[in-house]
Amino acid sequence: MEGSRGDSVVVTVTLVNVTKKFGSVVAVDNVSLEIPDGKFTALLGPSGSGKTTLLYLIAGIYKPTRGKILFDERDVTKLKPNERNIGLVFQNYALYPHMKVFDNIAFPLRLAKKPKSYIEERVKRIARMLNIDHLLDRYPAQLSGGQQQRVALARALVKEPAVLLLDEPLSNIDAILRIRIRSELKRLQRDLGITTIYVTHDQSEALAMADKIVVIHNGRVQQEGTPHEVYRYPRNVFVASFIGNPPTNIFRASVDQSEAPCVLLPGSKYCPTGLLAKKLREARLREVLVGFRPEDAEIRGEVSGDGVYLYGEVYTIEPLGRENIITLRINGELVKVTAPPSETVRIGDKVYLRIPRDKIMLFHPKTEENLALI
Amino acid sequence: MRASRTLNNPLFFLLPALLLIIVFYIIPLVITTWVSFTPLRNWRITLLSKYIGLENYRDLFYFITHDPDGILVLKTTVVFVVFTLIVNVLGGLLLAIATYIIEEKVSLTFRLLWLLPRMTPLAVFGLIWYYFFYGSPQGTLNAFLLHLGLIDKPYFWGTDPRLLPWSAWAIIVFVNGLVGVSYGMIIFYSAFKSIPPELITAAKVDGASTWQIIRHILVPMTRWHLVFVTVWQLLSLVTSYTHLFVLVDWRIVDKWHGTTWALFVFNEAFGDVKNQGLAAAAAVVLVIIGVLLGLVTLRIMRFSQTTPEPKGDL
Repeated sequence: MEGSRGDSVVVTVTLVNVTKKFGSVVAVDNVSLEIPDGKFTALLGPSGSGKTTLLYLIAGIYKPTRGKILFDERDVTKLKPNERNIGLVFQNYALYPHMKVFDNIAFPLRLAKKPKSYIEERVKRIARMLNIDHLLDRYPAQLSGGQQQRVALARALVKEPAVLLLDEPLSNIDAILRIRIRSELKRLQRDLGITTIYVTHDQSEALAMADKIVVIHNGRVQQEGTPHEVYRYPRNVFVASFIGNPPTNIFRASVDQSEAPCVLLPGSKYCPTGLLAKKLREARLREVLVGFRPEDAEIRGEVSGDGVYLYGEVYTIEPLGRENIITLRINGELVKVTAPPSETVRIGDKVYLRIPRDKIMLFHPKTEENLALI
Repeated sequence: MRASRTLNNPLFFLLPALLLIIVFYIIPLVITTWVSFTPLRNWRITLLSKYIGLENYRDLFYFITHDPDGILVLKTTVVFVVFTLIVNVLGGLLLAIATYIIEEKVSLTFRLLWLLPRMTPLAVFGLIWYYFFYGSPQGTLNAFLLHLGLIDKPYFWGTDPRLLPWSAWAIIVFVNGLVGVSYGMIIFYSAFKSIPPELITAAKVDGASTWQIIRHILVPMTRWHLVFVTVWQLLSLVTSYTHLFVLVDWRIVDKWHGTTWALFVFNEAFGDVKNQGLAAAAAVVLVIIGVLLGLVTLRIMRFSQTTPEPKGDL
């Protein structure tokens, strides 16, 4: 891949106690964050969580109500977007419909008053890199969604920005193409080594692409970490139920504190050991939220061997080819698990679910925080 | 079955509009054309049966080529249409840009203010200008300029021979521009508002200044609104005369320096002269000019249909 970035800067983006209010609405609430240089960071959250506001704050389109934004050591809080050396790709691409692809990509360079030959060379180079060099004479309306997305990406990259900001760039592309572009984008980011911040509401996209995931909800950072960390060790119920497809099963259960604390489950009881037991006892919890991932459970005909068992009835079966998603009704709650296609249970069968002890998560019933992580 | 056959007939849907056009446009046009070949004067209907060939057209041609008043009508028409068109289109564009850039609350008030002249009844509007340009020291403009010491005696601004022709022309352009400019403003403003806001944000991120956003985004993206407003205003300026009628009738401006072709047609038919034959000939010529301008419009509009980007497989 050509386009070495040896001459350009790669920065770390740091947010210090950043708050953004729109009138009385707090969109971003006291967020402190470090976005590592040269890495692919995903801002993940449901719509209305404040993730796009956060991206626009980093871009300089919004100015924070409070707090500071640093690019390395440089305070950019008060700088305009074009003074920050960023490239931004919008959700709907925001290509200028009256300009040809070439002029769209060249626009930022023309505004920067670069010489004509330089512009020509840069635009052609970036277009070749993104495989759109045969489209330079077309108008945006003559392009497919995927091509428009590349043009938007080219326009953002042509300035050789220190930070690349992507606002849900794949949400307007159909599902099959999305998965292909996903891997291309990830590869491109790796080759360019550019600090990339990617806003998405799609947890699978974040898991697939990001080096680091920042989960955002209600304008606050819920958790940050590698995809593995946020998936395996969700800090709270929100993160656990937002990440993963199907999401983590969560249900309420009472705790027997008479001796060693034990969680009373339909079909068995689960008596944690070590630190978790200590925490349960100290907090004197009578109730707890129990969680486990669908793929961590296994359907069994009877109780045999170590693990936590749940007893219930098969409610629905959704065959997906590679696996089946089986929904069980356990004590009135619906619980989803994945099973291999060879699984032969039928609707109405009474079965056990076996979950390994270390895959059971316990959350505080009020604060909803993961008891193992506080 | 019968009902559905009726409904399937395109004529059924065209009929209301066709009727309106026939009754209020085609029939009057035919009558006018007929009248232009008769010596009709003072509404003496009997003269309608007398065919005099192209005599009215010959008179009209003589009037606009040899009569100083006729030559002036031509000049006034051209000056009025060209300058008012510039004011209406460019002024409307500037106002739209201004109202687009400033804060919404202020912008709304601003736009409403500019709509006032359009909402004011013609007689009231005329009265305002009557007082404004009146030739006594109490006339608003005179009082103002006298107070500032810019003039030492009052002027009859629209009729004083020393100030003609441009003073009268300036007044008719100014007064009509004040009414007409809000049309462009409203059209352009709504066109700007229909541009996705991300495009403006994207341009800002790309480093565009306000002026560059106007030049590279707003104006190019509303090109067809510009064409439309220009053509629409052109056609209405060529044919409208109501404000001019008040300005001339109340002697705010000199008669022949405020009379365009359209007003000439009206005055010739309904004013002191009552030479309906000649007025009809002038009206027919005006219609022909209008049709020609309309054809030019159609050409431009068809051009616009070919430019939207064809969508399809690549």
